[in-house]
Amino acid sequence: MKKDLPKIDEHNFPIIFKHLTYFIKDEVLKTGVNRVVLGLSGGVDSAAACYLASGALGKDNVTALLMPYKSSSKSSLEDALKVVEALGISHYIIDITKQVDGYFQAEKDGTPVNDIKIRMGNKMSRERMSILYDYSYKLKSLVLGTSNKSELLLGYGTIYGDMASALNPIGDIYKTQIYQLAKLLGIPDSIMAKPPSADLWLGQSDESELGFTYEAADSIMYLLIDKMYKPEVVVSLGYDAGIVNAVYNKIKKSQYKRRMPLIAKVSERTINIDFRYLRDWS
Amino acid sequence: MHAINVLLAQINPYVGDLKKNIEKHLEFIKAAPAAGAEFVIFPELSLTGYFLKDAIYDIGVNLNSEEEASVFEPLYKASLDLGISVIAGFVEKDENYNFYNSSFCISKGKIINVHRKVYLPTYGMFEELRYFKPGGGFSIFDMAGVKASILTCEDAWHLSSSYIAVNKGAEIIVVNSASPARGITEGLDKFSSINMWEELLSVIAFYYRSYVIYVNRVGFEDGIGFSGGSCIFGPTGEMDARLGYLEEGYLKVEINLDLLNNERFKTPLIRDENLNLTLKEIEGIINSK
Repeated sequence: MKKDLPKIDEHNFPIIFKHLTYFIKDEVLKTGVNRVVLGLSGGVDSAAACYLASGALGKDNVTALLMPYKSSSKSSLEDALKVVEALGISHYIIDITKQVDGYFQAEKDGTPVNDIKIRMGNKMSRERMSILYDYSYKLKSLVLGTSNKSELLLGYGTIYGDMASALNPIGDIYKTQIYQLAKLLGIPDSIMAKPPSADLWLGQSDESELGFTYEAADSIMYLLIDKMYKPEVVVSLGYDAGIVNAVYNKIKKSQYKRRMPLIAKVSERTINIDFRYLRDWS
Repeated sequence: MHAINVLLAQINPYVGDLKKNIEKHLEFIKAAPAAGAEFVIFPELSLTGYFLKDAIYDIGVNLNSEEEASVFEPLYKASLDLGISVIAGFVEKDENYNFYNSSFCISKGKIINVHRKVYLPTYGMFEELRYFKPGGGFSIFDMAGVKASILTCEDAWHLSSSYIAVNKGAEIIVVNSASPARGITEGLDKFSSINMWEELLSVIAFYYRSYVIYVNRVGFEDGIGFSGGSCIFGPTGEMDARLGYLEEGYLKVEINLDLLNNERFKTPLIRDENLNLTLKEIEGIINSK
């Protein structure tokens, strides 16, 4: 029995592309709008989502927002612009330095450096979300999510920040597979070549923060989640017990980020508990 | 040549909107005569959408209530006027307010058969048993002079369903479905779920020496996409024709009874089936439990 995370290759790519573009088209059009807006970071995830959106809705119906902070890497903006150019989509560059710095002017005193880094990272992420949702209204566009399955499962994202969107075409695709998908989508090499980073501060690296590589985590999460194997079974198959447990704990601890807020049940029929309809119900 | 022509109608239904879906059905039914078909088959819950959840309460139709059943009047009329028979899926409600995942066959303006889905998947992403009552069996009906039986999606996953249908006399097994696309396989140009379905349908067609018509829907409901790929397998177990995956469309297919009879003569598996032995064994299994 094959137990490796399956690769997106030239054989399965056409149907995956057809599926993901149909998803975007069908789920966007049924809401009564025909456009999406997304944050383009210069990384591989948002680039892949952008290529899919353009393939689904046409280049005239996709808008990218590039939202650098003063410490964002120059190459991020350049890479994002490469995507904009390659697809011929419209874009806006909105610097978020002023509002983030303005807020933290009054907050910084006495906070340990490490905490302020995380708080500022979260703030930047939510600032971008807030701008995306403003542009959602302004451009009559749905916000397209760009979080991959790996970061959603590991909780490596900001709740109500980069994790917020109306719909997400790549949220069931692991980071390792995103690279395979991106290559087949024809995404520029410079985007593929750099190490994964949230780029919230200088030199930030996903993999050093997580303590393991995406490749290691993805092959484990494929067994834990997709195959529903217990952690001890995954370890028995030869995977590093330390990483398996670290991954499993991260998944459990971040469950709250993937759910709607809890509502205290008082009435006989409560939103999302026993008032059950599809979002597509409307 | 003894043959009938069937149109596979691979649609993307509007979730929870009976009226709009009836209109969509009429478009496809009206296309049938020009395509040379006398029969049109739609997917599971084609008139309502699939993941209805609490909306099932609002969309159920009691066929014994003249007032409620009249909602399907445009379909009865089209069937009569155009001489086209139709199989479509809907939410059925009975007098006791039980709901069923049902499919009807309309011929010459009248409902001639209703199949209530027997095996209601309630695991993984599925929750049918939460809302629906299971049907009580598999019936045979006349499909333009040929004996047919409907198996709705999960019904086909239980090989006993096709066993019963064929031994009751079915020559055509209609599998109407709302099967979500899922599973990536390296080196394979389709979803794993599609591959599994095609293997299953081939086995049913080959070992029961029958035509198997698979009509699966397309479109998305809250992120879940249905795979389409409606197709027909002949009694040799080979796929004769198939619609594209993940796109609306229709396809006319031919069912050739001469070929079916030829295969059944050469490999008389159904003739040789020992029903008494099966009965004895099943009684033994039930008694031992």
